[in-house]
Amino acid sequence: MTLSKWAAALGLAAAALAAAPASAQPYPSKRLDWTIAFGPGGGNDIMSRTLISILEKYKLYPENIVAENRPGGSGAKGWGYVFAQKGNPYHITSTSGSFITTPLQANTPWQPGSFTPVALLAADDMLLVVNKNSQAKTLQEFIAAAKAKPPSIGGIGAVNIDFIVPKLVSEKAGFTFSYVSFNKQGELITALLSGALDAAMSNPGEVLGLLQSGDMRALAFSGKSTPAALGKVPTFGELGYEIGISLPRGLVLPPDVPKEAQEWWIGTMKKVVATPEWKAYIDKQLLTEHVLYGEEFRAFLQKTQGVFGDILKKSGAIK
Amino acid sequence: MDLFANLLLGFSVAVSPLNLVYLFAGVMIGMVVGIIPGFGPSAALAILLPVTFGMNPASAVIMLAAIYYGSQYGGTITSILLNTPGESSSVASTFDGYPLAQQGRAGPALVMQAVASFVGGTLGVVLITLLAPPFALLARSFGPPEFFLLVVMGLSTLVVMIGGHWRLGLISALIGFALGTVGVDLETGNSRFTFGSAELIGGIDFIPVAIGLFGLGELYYALYSGLHVSGSGGIVQYQKERRFWPTRRDYAESNGALARGSLLGFVVGVLPGAGATVASLMSYSIEKSVSRTPQKFGKGAMAGLVGPESANNAASSGAMVPLLTLGIPGSASTAVLLAAFVLWGLTPGPLLMAQKPEFAWGLIASMYLGNMALLALNIFAIPLFVQMIKLPYRLLAPAVILVCTIGTYSVNGSIVETWLMFGAGLAGFFMKLHGFSPAALVLALVLGPLAEQSLRQSLTISRGSLAIFVDRPVSLAILCLTLALVAAGIWAHLSRRAPPQD
Repeated sequence: MTLSKWAAALGLAAAALAAAPASAQPYPSKRLDWTIAFGPGGGNDIMSRTLISILEKYKLYPENIVAENRPGGSGAKGWGYVFAQKGNPYHITSTSGSFITTPLQANTPWQPGSFTPVALLAADDMLLVVNKNSQAKTLQEFIAAAKAKPPSIGGIGAVNIDFIVPKLVSEKAGFTFSYVSFNKQGELITALLSGALDAAMSNPGEVLGLLQSGDMRALAFSGKSTPAALGKVPTFGELGYEIGISLPRGLVLPPDVPKEAQEWWIGTMKKVVATPEWKAYIDKQLLTEHVLYGEEFRAFLQKTQGVFGDILKKSGAIK
Repeated sequence: MDLFANLLLGFSVAVSPLNLVYLFAGVMIGMVVGIIPGFGPSAALAILLPVTFGMNPASAVIMLAAIYYGSQYGGTITSILLNTPGESSSVASTFDGYPLAQQGRAGPALVMQAVASFVGGTLGVVLITLLAPPFALLARSFGPPEFFLLVVMGLSTLVVMIGGHWRLGLISALIGFALGTVGVDLETGNSRFTFGSAELIGGIDFIPVAIGLFGLGELYYALYSGLHVSGSGGIVQYQKERRFWPTRRDYAESNGALARGSLLGFVVGVLPGAGATVASLMSYSIEKSVSRTPQKFGKGAMAGLVGPESANNAASSGAMVPLLTLGIPGSASTAVLLAAFVLWGLTPGPLLMAQKPEFAWGLIASMYLGNMALLALNIFAIPLFVQMIKLPYRLLAPAVILVCTIGTYSVNGSIVETWLMFGAGLAGFFMKLHGFSPAALVLALVLGPLAEQSLRQSLTISRGSLAIFVDRPVSLAILCLTLALVAAGIWAHLSRRAPPQD
């Protein structure tokens, strides 16, 4: 047996021993398998490929990175695959909204908290928008009108942050509303433009052009701070309606990987988020920069899923 | 005039040598993507997206859009030759395209579909050039109530699809509606008939069902009837003495269908959420109901092929209207294009055409050239495709099964959908054997969920009041139109005094 084969065998043995951190070689010393739990072209895919190109450009990961789209079952398939790689630090995957919602809807063997958390990098936050003809110029006016006559608010899907955000606000402000669920962004936006809906929840990136042209007006943003491109839109928090949850765009490793691998990735991601390429990605996609590392990320995931679960159980969407 | 200046600018962008290369690359890829059953333009666009990162946005969009509308040409070839739709939007083209091929008229059918695609696509681009702003206005007046009424209009065509055996047709449609209820209930978020499986959260996809019902179903039926052992071999009786080119009568029969299909396709394509599949199915039933010889439909009527074909191409042009003028995606493919706009640093929205005229008009101008290139490519390639039906069935059948399997699996990488396709294949075989209507099933599967969603959305908004359908001017207009169509249909039926069927 040649030396390299011995090394490979040793590596395999180390991986098989799972939690045993006593690998002779320093981490990382092998090819990385990067699972993208959705098809090419979507938000999750674009973030993963951006991260990989940054890691490659700055030579942060010493070996090859192989990105693999493993779509299916709203992320259940790809994340299930990574979950099954228990203890293997050479698998990694990126998270997005379905990471929270899919386990609430289907019998997945994993929960968001089951994985080894690396970092939350950004958050998908939501904008409350109204048609240009709407009477409401501010969130306060919208709430005042809502108390007199319950509005219809549209969003994508019922098991989604689009429903959670207005629900949290309405409970705090004391009004009721009809939530109108849509399948696709195009149908939601035209419903608002046609005057059928009173308001809609949307990702800022999807309506930026319509905001700039004055066809729509943004009343409030659910993130911690409003992206610069949106101008002077206040956050719900500034107006007294703290939301505190958002859909997590982050990175996780399989369960039970060695501590040193988790530490290595946390250190590396600290370098990644400081690069101009990462800043450009955040700006272009109008994401909110929201960085949490390790256990803090796990706590964030669990808290977010808790809020989702409570509200959705109350509304009867899930059991 | 502004229009001329804009078009001139557009052509100056589109005719640059590099952009012409991208355009031809796009139409070629689109054709191939269209031919492979299951594997559709949205998947192809998503895969090619990273390739465009370093490119000039105008070149990139010219290529990606060419793949999108090019696939509408390619999708019909297998519909005609193998009864296997290449895309969901070419399902309607199997209804009369395949019977034409069976009668040895594959050549004329393929030429006519290329002509229909060209007419639909080009008329669509002309309409974009001249009338994009008013059509954008139409798109933005379409909320859930309007959409629901449009779907009802589509569903009223079920009567036509059901065909002679109305009881069996009705059962077929009900199966389609039932399949359409699988997945997450959009309004409440409850999972319906998913049995805890994550694979079924997204519902039952239309593509594996259509490929199975039509493609595999027909294949099994051919095996059942012993085509693979009967010495002559070919899938259809290919007769050399038959003319390759369409006859003057073919053109004469198709004129009206071309015009109606193109117009209907464009309008439906403009409306977000409907798209090419709905347009082509609606066009088919409209052609059948206006035809003086409806009994020929399903048995090789040229109008039944060119109507849907011009409609699905015009719809893919129409879908560019909300994309360019409002930044709204009307279909899965245009959603990928929209994501691409953002990646290239553009802001899609009402200001896009004013801010980036070279981008928008370059794309529009390239669509004229792309449609011409596709017509030429098709006419050139048709003799090659026609050879395919001369292959002995015992060689062709396994190849078709292989391609269908790979195509279906490649869409979502889902083994569940692959099994679903095989299941639908068996179902399609028995339906054909016993006179059920796969067409009615497919129409119900496409339109059923759309009807359910838009009705519930409308009633949620109106808090249960049906007045929402007559309070809004556009929905009132569609309602009146639907009633007029139904009345005209009944009148035509009574005055024709058709003998009772079944």
